[in-house]
Amino acid sequence: MTEHTVKSYGEELNHLTAEVTRMGGLAEAQVADAIDCIARRDAPLAQQVVARDERLDTLQGEIERKAFRLIALRQPMAVDLRHAVAALKISMSLERCGDMAKNIGKRALILTEADPMSALTRSIERMGRLVQGRLKDVLDAYTASDLQRAIGVWGRDEEVDEHYNAIFRELLTYMMGDPRTINPCAHLLFVAKNLERIGDHATNIAEIIHFELTGEEIVSQRPKLELSK
Amino acid sequence: MPMASPSSSVRSDGAVRTPLAVWGAVLAGPAALLGLAAAGGANAGAAIPLALASGVAGYVLTRRTLNRPADPAAPAPVPAALDHPPPFALILETLPDPLMVIAAEEADDLTGRRFVFANAAARELFKLQPRGGLLVSALRSPQVLEAVDESLFGGVRRSVDYVGGGAQGREWAAHCAPLGVDERGSRLALLVLSDETDARRSERTRADFLANASHELRTPLASLSGFIETLRGHAKDDVGARDRFLGIMQAQAERMARLIDDLMSLSRIELNEHIAPLGRVDLAMAAIDVLDALAPQAKEKAVAFDPVLPPRGAAVVEGDRDQIVQVIQNLVDNAIKYTPRDGVVRVEIFSGLTADMAAAPRDPGAARMSLLTPDHAEGERYASLRVSDRGPGMAREHLPRLTERFYRVEGQKSGERSGTGLGLAIVKHIVNRHRGGMTVESALGEGATFGVYLPMARGDSRDASASPSSPSPLST
Repeated sequence: MTEHTVKSYGEELNHLTAEVTRMGGLAEAQVADAIDCIARRDAPLAQQVVARDERLDTLQGEIERKAFRLIALRQPMAVDLRHAVAALKISMSLERCGDMAKNIGKRALILTEADPMSALTRSIERMGRLVQGRLKDVLDAYTASDLQRAIGVWGRDEEVDEHYNAIFRELLTYMMGDPRTINPCAHLLFVAKNLERIGDHATNIAEIIHFELTGEEIVSQRPKLELSK
Repeated sequence: MPMASPSSSVRSDGAVRTPLAVWGAVLAGPAALLGLAAAGGANAGAAIPLALASGVAGYVLTRRTLNRPADPAAPAPVPAALDHPPPFALILETLPDPLMVIAAEEADDLTGRRFVFANAAARELFKLQPRGGLLVSALRSPQVLEAVDESLFGGVRRSVDYVGGGAQGREWAAHCAPLGVDERGSRLALLVLSDETDARRSERTRADFLANASHELRTPLASLSGFIETLRGHAKDDVGARDRFLGIMQAQAERMARLIDDLMSLSRIELNEHIAPLGRVDLAMAAIDVLDALAPQAKEKAVAFDPVLPPRGAAVVEGDRDQIVQVIQNLVDNAIKYTPRDGVVRVEIFSGLTADMAAAPRDPGAARMSLLTPDHAEGERYASLRVSDRGPGMAREHLPRLTERFYRVEGQKSGERSGTGLGLAIVKHIVNRHRGGMTVESALGEGATFGVYLPMARGDSRDASASPSSPSPLST
């Protein structure tokens, strides 16, 4: 960083948010590409995903340093402190999402060597797009400081679990039916698990945003239609 | 960035700068503008009919002026050659393609890039404030950000792909071009997006159509040629066999015709999926029409309908009537197929729900899956349609794949009049085009419920849900 410009406190805070958003874009792209390389059996793309993870790690380190610096030198209070802490925590979540994407990339490399199982990879892709959408929604909520949108993401976290459970059963059926598929299916199971974890991180980020904006934990009843018979 | 900080106005000192300064820079480098016109040119044929009248005039005028073959050594064509300089600010504002001017000072201050101008299309796409702001608050795709950087500091033009998120997944080409340095020393670059969804989607749809058609038509075709062979061979003089075979052949030919019809309509729907439908449809009235039309089929199987519908005008949605009818028809048709004799098919319509309420589960014991979730839209109200059958139901693991083309739940027969395996795929694509959502709930042995929810038409029917005659899902 060039240090000759003296930045104001507000500017520093805004830059921290922008930095996290940029990191979010990178994490989103990593997750999208990881899903693509499973769906299209694209080994070169998988190698890129694995190699690019380092950028996320670097960025996370930078954000961490900046957040600490800001907290130490400016001693923010109330909402400003929550902004700084939210940036710190969200960057950690995003870094974990990147790790999951990298792991999916590694498994995609192995899977390209096995026979294609398009029915299964389609299910994984569908789950992946859902998770990707949640990550996008929650990052949009973060950039726009949109509380309702964050709550929306938080309230819909069961969907990913449903997909994960369905894929789990589907994979079990395959493995029981034909033991030769156990190896690729086991990898796909971990891919699904990684996607589910990315979904959890999106939920987690939604909680952080809620705390950042309101200073309170999310407590609300999730909407349910009552049984009508 | 709406940040409540002590000095939040600091950020805007660059952004507040009147657009005039930017226009100065744009005009000073008409060569860059030429690039814009050329970049937009590829798309102009499709885009022009959509533009406002003034925009069209300005756009065409600019392109004609700027697209003259230019000698690279000679000074670029100057707009002053016209009698009156055209209103450039208005032209850029009304261009149908999203366009932004990006400013930055330091190469290593990666998050300091900000947009100082975004035209109406860009503000609409990225939901931006007109006063400018940080670039990452508009878009955060790493490829596009890199391309912008190369234009700002490398002085080169770049074009990259940009996929907008969301349920309809628009695909764009992002063109970046350098605009030089303004009088304050900020570097400027132009970012123009052109919509390539149509081109890419039609390419993909054609490939899908061919793959599906050739694969799925092969079975009935093989059976047809088998029977023809038999009829010309040893069954030539067997009257009984001939009648039976001709009957099967006719059924197969009809199946092929249905399959082709369904594939064609699926392709058509997919091509228009990113274009929101115009028009208003009363969901309840459409449902009544469908139930009337399917009555003979239900009677044949001794299946009764149990409709729970709101009064006329209470569940009006934005939509294409034929497509909405097709959605209801496919769902009810399926329900009739899977309901045993003397069973009941329940058709319910609710209105005035939020997206969360419309997608919420009904029966906590049943397996449930969202097959399609609409993009978050603030304050949107939905009308929902639920079709329940009392059939065999489906196990949880089948639910996510139901809208896949040609997917069949193992061990289930839909009866004599077997479907094409495209019905639910068609429903899903139509609902997605309407910016709606789709859910399924099922318990083995207890039947299945398919739910579809669509955004309600804005305006008059908004508070219809408050009327006592409309059944509320929460109180029933």
